[in-house]
Amino acid sequence: MIDIAIIGGGPAGQAAAQQTLAAGLSTTMIDEQARPGGQILRQPPATFAVKGWMNGRLYRPLRRLLAQTEADTRLDWRGETSVAGIERIDTHFRLTLSGAHGGTLLARRVLIAAGCYDMPVAMPGWPLPGVMSAGAVQTLLKSQQVVAGQPIVLLGSHPLLLVLATQLLDAGADIAAVLMPQTYGQIARAALPYLAGAIFSPGPLIAAGAAMARLRRAGVPMMMGARPLGFTGDGRLEAVDYTWRGQTHRIAAQAAAVSYGFLPQSDLPRQIGAAVRWARPAGGWETVCDGAMRSSIPGLYVAGETTGVAGADAAMAEGEIAGITMARDAGAAAGSGIARAQARRARMQPFIDLLRAVADPGDVWPQATPETLLCRCEDISVAQVEATMARLSPMADASAVKHRCRIGMGLCQGRSCEHALVRRIAAARGCDPDAVAPFRVRFPARPLPVDEIID
Amino acid sequence: MSRIVDGVTRPAPITIEIDGAMIQAHPGETLAAAIVAAGAYRMRDDRSGAPRGLLCNMGTCSECFVWIAMDGAWRRRRACLTPVSERLRIATHEGQP
Repeated sequence: MIDIAIIGGGPAGQAAAQQTLAAGLSTTMIDEQARPGGQILRQPPATFAVKGWMNGRLYRPLRRLLAQTEADTRLDWRGETSVAGIERIDTHFRLTLSGAHGGTLLARRVLIAAGCYDMPVAMPGWPLPGVMSAGAVQTLLKSQQVVAGQPIVLLGSHPLLLVLATQLLDAGADIAAVLMPQTYGQIARAALPYLAGAIFSPGPLIAAGAAMARLRRAGVPMMMGARPLGFTGDGRLEAVDYTWRGQTHRIAAQAAAVSYGFLPQSDLPRQIGAAVRWARPAGGWETVCDGAMRSSIPGLYVAGETTGVAGADAAMAEGEIAGITMARDAGAAAGSGIARAQARRARMQPFIDLLRAVADPGDVWPQATPETLLCRCEDISVAQVEATMARLSPMADASAVKHRCRIGMGLCQGRSCEHALVRRIAAARGCDPDAVAPFRVRFPARPLPVDEIID
Repeated sequence: MSRIVDGVTRPAPITIEIDGAMIQAHPGETLAAAIVAAGAYRMRDDRSGAPRGLLCNMGTCSECFVWIAMDGAWRRRRACLTPVSERLRIATHEGQP
């Protein structure tokens, strides 16, 4: 039995581990990647040497934390391992692990700092190979040092696309276009209410401005107010269709990076029954916690994007708070910086709100057609889902639709389609998505070989 | 080739087999990255036989589920989380040798 299990090796998990290790608590960190860092600092393979890797100013505090984490010999690091299950047994927890360190792990306290993932957005042609999330393109670049395909089109409402575009430029990639559905005026109007407060986090705003200027200088076609229509190709992506300034265009592309926002990884909190709520505005489920990062389940803590997508700096602050709280609750010699970390986290909120407002796909969703697949695992189309919903009572929840037409029953456990189904049910009922009961989340949270769980 | 060369030092390449074709990969790379770098986007087929490729590259979506020959049997694994290794054999659709 260990004192602390930390699920996720990103900034939140690392910052928490620093606190629990300093307090003398045995700490195990589990992550699906081979090396710690999370998606923000997804490291190259240990066999690679990459000159000047992620050396931008904004990444420095994250890199410092990562260096400290990797140098700490007290940390029990378990990479290449998925957490498939979490249960509470008496006063402790049992985790079911799969992969390099498969088996069960008993822990007195658990921190879920499992991060987020790119929101999958159903639009015509999106299952074609070559159409990827912006995160996929970015992690191929950061970690594997591979350009996902050229020419590449970046599209969506999230400003992360600007960062990705500069990283692709650094790699010498051929960027065909950046298509953002908002106009500059819409972005300014969305940002305005938060600007005064966001002055406390000038770094990302300055970086966004610098990225814009750099893309212009490099001659990257930036089309603001462009509405992506879909993807075409024979067996793989060949072109992206969009409308811009009243005309329809087709642009050749071998790869597309799509970003309309991010959803918290919520499988494990929901599997164990922790309270969650619909995340605003992008959707998905964020885990409810108190100011000290305690979830609704005693002994279970959450930090970082699990509590609502807010970025790496917020994750670091929340991880520190969670680590100190866990040490306190364990009766160990806890660090004294909790009020400072809470104040730091609070100062970030206006910028986080600004980014959420600017990135909000609310008015600019791409349109799916009846043939568009909503569930990519079971190949269930929008038309099939609508027909199923029409046969059921309007009060039928997501699970009822799932049981009738198999949406969400595949390998991804609904991570790609559930948010879209809940939005459709809410729209049909004219209610808030929070009022729609989502799928029941079951073991396993990740696909695992059957022989790993049979003794 | 889509591997970044400037400033990146990789170990000497090895050869892996995808659907009977041999491609080069560097130890440490993920299978997904090796497939993308080789310009071969197919990772699996959907129910209609249409190809599917990498979507999330972080183990969340399972679109990159490939068949891997392991210990005399074909096992399914997420290509984005599987490191390449010498003599690795993978198939992108079921029933292949």
